[in-house]
Amino acid sequence: MLTVARNLYEYRELVATLAWKNVAVRYKQAALGLAWAVIKPVTLMLIFTLVKSFVGIDSGSVPYPVLTFAALMPWIFFQESASDGVNSVVSNTALIKKIYFPREIFPITAVSTKLIELGINFVILAALMLWYRMAPTAHIAWVPLIVAYTVLAALTVGLFGAAVNVYYRDMGQALPVLLSLLMYASPVIYPLQLVKDKLLVQQAAGEWSQALYTLYTLNPLAGIIDAFQNVVLRGRAPDWGALLPGALTVAVLLPLSYAFFKRAESWFADVI
Amino acid sequence: MPAIEVSHLTKEYRLGAMQGLKDAALAAARRLLGHPVPERPLFKALDDVSFAIEPGEVVGIIGHNGAGKSTLLKMLARISTPTRGTVKVNGRIAPLIEVGAGFVPDFTGRENVYLNAAILGMSKAEIGRKFDEIVDFAEMAEFIDTPVKRYSSGMQVKLAFAVATSIDSEILIVDEVLAVGDLAFQRKCFDRMEDMIKRQGKTVLIVSHNIRQLERLCSRVVMMDHGRKVADGDPTEVSNLFFDYSNRKIKSVASATSPGRVRASEELTFQVVTVHDSQGQVVDKVECLHPVRVRLRFSVNRPLKRICFLVGIHTTDFVYLTANNNVEDPRDLDVGEHAIDLDIGRITLLPGVYSIRVWIGTPEGRESFYGENLASVQVHSNDHLITRQQEMGLFYLDGTFTHVPLKKESPLVVTPS
Repeated sequence: MLTVARNLYEYRELVATLAWKNVAVRYKQAALGLAWAVIKPVTLMLIFTLVKSFVGIDSGSVPYPVLTFAALMPWIFFQESASDGVNSVVSNTALIKKIYFPREIFPITAVSTKLIELGINFVILAALMLWYRMAPTAHIAWVPLIVAYTVLAALTVGLFGAAVNVYYRDMGQALPVLLSLLMYASPVIYPLQLVKDKLLVQQAAGEWSQALYTLYTLNPLAGIIDAFQNVVLRGRAPDWGALLPGALTVAVLLPLSYAFFKRAESWFADVI
Repeated sequence: MPAIEVSHLTKEYRLGAMQGLKDAALAAARRLLGHPVPERPLFKALDDVSFAIEPGEVVGIIGHNGAGKSTLLKMLARISTPTRGTVKVNGRIAPLIEVGAGFVPDFTGRENVYLNAAILGMSKAEIGRKFDEIVDFAEMAEFIDTPVKRYSSGMQVKLAFAVATSIDSEILIVDEVLAVGDLAFQRKCFDRMEDMIKRQGKTVLIVSHNIRQLERLCSRVVMMDHGRKVADGDPTEVSNLFFDYSNRKIKSVASATSPGRVRASEELTFQVVTVHDSQGQVVDKVECLHPVRVRLRFSVNRPLKRICFLVGIHTTDFVYLTANNNVEDPRDLDVGEHAIDLDIGRITLLPGVYSIRVWIGTPEGRESFYGENLASVQVHSNDHLITRQQEMGLFYLDGTFTHVPLKKESPLVVTPS
């Protein structure tokens, strides 16, 4: 873990330069430029709001559009950094074959790039909150920690996936499918409160209810999205009960994922 | 402490395609059941290579395509991992393995300089300090804010070379980058390399096909063949060994390929051309500046009047170099076997592989036989005065240089009075 930190520090300028490159390349010849970073969550928010008007989802005290936008921000950040992370090694074949630096730089750069786009989305979120006359509270100070945790969750997927993708490109194909499944298993369209009510309050699954709820929250995104909504919109501290199982998942899988990546790394240049 | 220490380095690749999931699962199942699994054959790109390079040494690596040179450089640059053996490197390495890796076409020259330099491991402050020098060297000041996709390929390479060579490193690994840009820029690159080597005392490892250039730059040359180190030592000696070796290879290819153009007629059946040394032995290798005899053997099928012969020499790519004939002295030939000798007093061709062509007919131009690439012969020499001319042409130019002291008042051009 120490070498990871040292590498990260030593190569911080490279990560920054590569992230700047990724952003610049993406928007260099696009007339709308950085606006594209916003278009995806805003469109999805509008669609979900439209759907919500048919099926009726109880969004509690918070207006549904803001609630779902606050869910889409961490979700899209996670989803895109994970999938860019998985493809990051394969799409840098030219560099892998010519120059050595620690290969985890690629997934880390992919995640860093998405941080910039996440930042832009905060502007939209602020505008929405202003529109609905919602004021942030001191709990908003939790946001950097929640984002950092999301970064770790994305790296867990990204590191493992990137290494597998070098050997079997199936990974790159399968990932979008898996991620869209994961979206429905995360409180993006609906708030976590609905799941909680159903399982913990109404005990809908009988004696299995508690176990099912823990299983649901093993998905780190469940805790992340709920915590993000809590600290930004509801002015509440994160719900630790919902965060803990997911944090456990990341704490166990991230070191394994990193170890797997480092083991596979030596053969990247030969196999890719 | 050596700057680079390589011991028993071996790199194996599995031949054939990557296994699909089905094959991998089948192989795993067979292994579990104790059946033998068909192994894909191994290819040794490097085979037990060992050497050490001391700080400040300039070492050239030569060898044919596929000899393992690039694989070796990849190991040193940590891009690839050895199968067996170890590589120890003491100091910062700047790999110039194919310059310009990671250039982004949409970026301007300036942006690419920053990006490329960061990829090569330079800090932002360092790049800032060296930026002007880089642009100056590449002669790109005018175009530095133009996207690289609008550059010519020569311009891109120039910029990339300028970035790559501006890294402060103790060890430089160079792979065939000296041949970039136009002649003037090549000269500049070469001077920069020479400056880094001679004045800054860097440890350098160069792979090149330009052997004479290596001979000039290096203090030591390593020759690789089929993944093994076959020679290691004095640049001139190893280079000559390499030339000898390539000539043999060219020769075997030349005689294996179809024998050029041949036009035969019924009146004469051509048999063979042989080359003999001064002792009369049939040889396929002759010494430069030594006597050589070329013998033609053929049979005549009906009596021929006034026949003359032409024996010419051409390169393996059919450039006619020289020829001799005896049109002023034609012969009459009876039916039967014949042999004609051409004695060459001193063969002045420089070391290399050459082929022989033969024409037989009358002085008026009636042709009985013509054939190209009928035999190939290797010219060889151990004399440095001869081998050093090899890159400059095809024929040995004998001569000596003298310094002529001029009187101050002596005119440069003598005007007729």
